[in-house]
Amino acid sequence: MTTHVAPPQRRKFLITMLGGLGALIAAASVWPVFRFLSPVDTGGSSNQVFLARDVVAPGKAHFFQYQGKPAVILQPTPGNFVALSAVCTHLGCVVAWQEQAGEFLCPCHAGRFSADGQVLGGPPPKPLESLVVQLDGDQLKIG
Amino acid sequence: MQPIKWLVEFVEVRLGVKELYNRELKGYLLPRNVNAWYTLGAVLLALFTLQTLTGILLLMFYVPDAAKAFASVQYIVNEVPFGWLFRMLHAIGANVIVIALLLHMLSVLFMASYKGRREFTWLSGFIIFNLTMGICLTGYLLPWSQLSFWATTVATDAAGAIPIVGDYLVEFLRGGPTVGNQTLGRFFALHVVGMPLVLLALIGAHLFCVKRRGISPPPFGPEYHATEAKPFFEHEKHPGGVPFFPNYFVKDAAIICFFIAFLLAIIFYAPGLFFPDSAFQPADPFLTPPHIKPEWYFLWAYQALKIFPSEIIGLGVQGAFMTFLALLPFIDRGPERRPAKRPLFVTCYVLGILLIVAISIWGHYS
Repeated sequence: MTTHVAPPQRRKFLITMLGGLGALIAAASVWPVFRFLSPVDTGGSSNQVFLARDVVAPGKAHFFQYQGKPAVILQPTPGNFVALSAVCTHLGCVVAWQEQAGEFLCPCHAGRFSADGQVLGGPPPKPLESLVVQLDGDQLKIG
Repeated sequence: MQPIKWLVEFVEVRLGVKELYNRELKGYLLPRNVNAWYTLGAVLLALFTLQTLTGILLLMFYVPDAAKAFASVQYIVNEVPFGWLFRMLHAIGANVIVIALLLHMLSVLFMASYKGRREFTWLSGFIIFNLTMGICLTGYLLPWSQLSFWATTVATDAAGAIPIVGDYLVEFLRGGPTVGNQTLGRFFALHVVGMPLVLLALIGAHLFCVKRRGISPPPFGPEYHATEAKPFFEHEKHPGGVPFFPNYFVKDAAIICFFIAFLLAIIFYAPGLFFPDSAFQPADPFLTPPHIKPEWYFLWAYQALKIFPSEIIGLGVQGAFMTFLALLPFIDRGPERRPAKRPLFVTCYVLGILLIVAISIWGHYS
């Protein structure tokens, strides 16, 4: 016994099948492109960074990479260390340490932060992110 | 109203796309006896598009610096997700393009499709072929492997056979006395910007010629009659032919799928086919690897240089052969296109192919 299928039905079936197949191929092609373009872990996203204790002298600042972003460590008083994100909370510029004034200045829009990251003036909406810092012998452990 | 219909109407009232569709796609009629060889142009368009897309992706990680280029390619292949796939699609895709180009040219030659005042179409296609060879050559250096470095050294050195200006030309091509960072810089610029821009313009010109002059029907079957080309411009129409869309478009799509499958088959089942060991070693300007050979499509030219007693004769013969091919439509002016009625041409055609294949094999094993 044969079943007759009208041409419009066959056409609709074929178009649906071709559309499905096309969608599958498109998805299979897009996935590798998406993965290729996704950020690659370059090893800079480690949760802990170790620095030699003498990289930062009293009153000075030392900039380094923490989890792929700029960070800064200070020694405001001998033996006392503070680690902060160096990314301004206003629009993401990197703050600069003003040694004379003992504060951070964001060169983009003149945002000012204290040595412990609190907002002193300008447009930044919140303090600099604080990072945990521990003195371990001659090494500073951040994070 | 369904969303798709609404969208079509939205565009239609603004751009009149239905008239364009009816005239340029549905109303674009091809000869009824058109065969699968006519799909190779569409195949090449698809492959060139693939090369452009994969090239853009590779550019995001590739570093055109002699000290970093090899490591950046290794990084793409070994570290970046699917980097190996895009690198292989690009490198092996170039070989598949050359295969498709050769088949396209050979089919046009066999069916004498260059006849009927189609000199511009042939010439633009012939320049596209040579430019593609140039893009392959410049791209070959970029991975900065031993193979890249020494194949480029040998290829650029061949220009030294030209009398008087030869030595200067070699240095000019390399940007210095030897292949180095300056060569990489200029080859990179030519490979990713200069040559592709010219190629794009030439492909546009080629398609314009094809569309403006009209498709040359296959010279087979009872409906074919050898006719003299008229002394004035006439678009060759094919009343009662098959519409380009959807009829021939489906055939185009099928053959494109076949070529993509062929490319993927090489990548997955014979990934080392075009990559000898020297392709995996960083370039060392002080150590020439043994048996360095150019890519398969340059082997005939490489061996021809060695056959003749002097390189200048070898270069001259190659130049004469390529000039003859370029000017063929101006030389072969008879109206007859049926291969069976052109025994001299077909004999030269077959012998020519056999000769080039034989010289290439000789070059490979020499």
